[in-house]
Amino acid sequence: MTAKDALTERYQDLLSVYLKAKTETTLYKGQQFSRKLLEQQISPEDLVSLHIQVMDELFPDMSEEMRDSFDFLLEAMIGYGFAYREHQSLRDKQQQLESEIEVAASMQQTLLLSDVPEFDQLDIGVVSVPAKKMNGDYYNFVKSGNSLSVAVADIIGKGIPAALCMSMIKYAMDSLPEEQMKPHLLLENLNRVVEQNVHSNMFITMFHGVYEPESHKFYYAGAGHEPGFFYHAKEDEFHDLIAKGLVLGVSRTTTYHPYEKMIEVGDMVILLSDGVTECRTSKGFIEREEVVALIRKYMDLPSQKIVENVFQELDRLQGFELRDDFTLIILKRLV
Amino acid sequence: MDIQSCVEVRNEWDIVSARQLGRNMAKELGFGNVDQARITTAISELARNIYLYAGRGKICIEPIDQLGRKGLRIVALDNGPGIREIRKVMEDGYTTSGGLGAGLPGVKRLMDEFSIESTVDVGTEISATKWLR
Amino acid sequence: MNLQINQDQINETYELNLTGEVDAYTAPKLKEVMLPLTEKEGNIVIVDLSGIEYMDSTGLGIFVGALKSSKANHSSLKLRGMTERVKRIFEITGLTEVMDIESGVKGEAL
Repeated sequence: MTAKDALTERYQDLLSVYLKAKTETTLYKGQQFSRKLLEQQISPEDLVSLHIQVMDELFPDMSEEMRDSFDFLLEAMIGYGFAYREHQSLRDKQQQLESEIEVAASMQQTLLLSDVPEFDQLDIGVVSVPAKKMNGDYYNFVKSGNSLSVAVADIIGKGIPAALCMSMIKYAMDSLPEEQMKPHLLLENLNRVVEQNVHSNMFITMFHGVYEPESHKFYYAGAGHEPGFFYHAKEDEFHDLIAKGLVLGVSRTTTYHPYEKMIEVGDMVILLSDGVTECRTSKGFIEREEVVALIRKYMDLPSQKIVENVFQELDRLQGFELRDDFTLIILKRLV
Repeated sequence: MDIQSCVEVRNEWDIVSARQLGRNMAKELGFGNVDQARITTAISELARNIYLYAGRGKICIEPIDQLGRKGLRIVALDNGPGIREIRKVMEDGYTTSGGLGAGLPGVKRLMDEFSIESTVDVGTEISATKWLR
Repeated sequence: MNLQINQDQINETYELNLTGEVDAYTAPKLKEVMLPLTEKEGNIVIVDLSGIEYMDSTGLGIFVGALKSSKANHSSLKLRGMTERVKRIFEITGLTEVMDIESGVKGEAL
């Protein structure tokens, strides 16, 4: 008996049972059977044909009109068959695309991976989570001589185009002699590169800073990036870390303002992307004060634990669905 | 058994004639009712394309026999504008008529063999075959 | 996720009144309407944002593109009526320094 005969027989059995005693159980069995049919890739019009065949068998005296009506139904089903087969094909295509994105995402991970460097005076914590598979947020640490530089950037535009832009920035940054660089000059350089190379609707926000352990000074500059926070241990107060500047890529001639801050023992520099401040809870957008409150809650833990805990709480508040890439970095001066 | 028969397609009624011809020939050859419906629908789609895009053309249907294997071949011919981007037109999800799931990929799936040749401003020839099981 | 654009024109002055949200979904619609207006020399394009409750960075990108276009094509682009929340993103990104934005911020959209 061929597979088709087996199916026909089974369908006939189920249908006969149902016609004799219209029970819910049989209907349920009918549904489960359709699952089997789908597994065998039986199309809608095949099923109608099966039905016709079985009905012929069960009711050889079926009226002419009844029989003809089934032929009509068969024709109508062909359209559904079209849609069904296209759906199958598109699903296969989608699976293929998904695995291609996986490959691209892991490639990006490898290329853009920035190790969090060990740095004597500082306890560094980093969390960076993409909303989609590829991250539009970018952070980079570079140890150069005695100093540590840190950059956080956000490309406007999500998904694959954004991430490709990010790769471009990383390579631009890696090839600039950073020891000589002051953050505001680095931004000026980068701005020119970006302006010439991105689509007119794209722009990049960025914050760049350099910590010099001898002077305990943190030099920084910003290009339209969401302000971070600065925690002043002596006052036990959090302040906004303002670094005003125009986003990268708008105008070739933009200049950036250099800022600096003295970092004392116990102080923290907190950098973030707007995925943090764009968290939406049931009550609406999260306020910056709430983010500060969260940091304060975990403040005494090591930096990595602080950022992870803050992320987990915000993630939970949003129902575990990120609206935007989320990046949070904390530098705490230990000695 | 008839040799090749053709239907001129100039208006919507001709689509029906082409369908009728196809169904009769399929029945004669011994195709089951589902395959008859599939062949007829394939003819319908191809004839409709001629009617909508070329304005005029023809559908030819012939029984074929290859080393004892029997089947039916449909050829749709026109001297219309031709298809500029064949790859796009053969992609799922692409549709100019707003239909769901039909189009040339749909026809291809209804039949066993399918080939298409088209030159812009010259015309299009589509050939599709279904074998008796 | 909805955006309504009401357009008025007097000679070369075009006024666009926006209502709703400018985000990744609605931004293309705004671009389609706004960008061509900035491409003609001498045009004055005024965009009223008092009806905008939310704008994300994609929306901002459309304004960046429109700004660049108006500079390149010698037209003028003015924005007005922003709520606090919307004005904030223009401020943080530094765009308030380079764009013609009328102050006189209205209250938070309810």
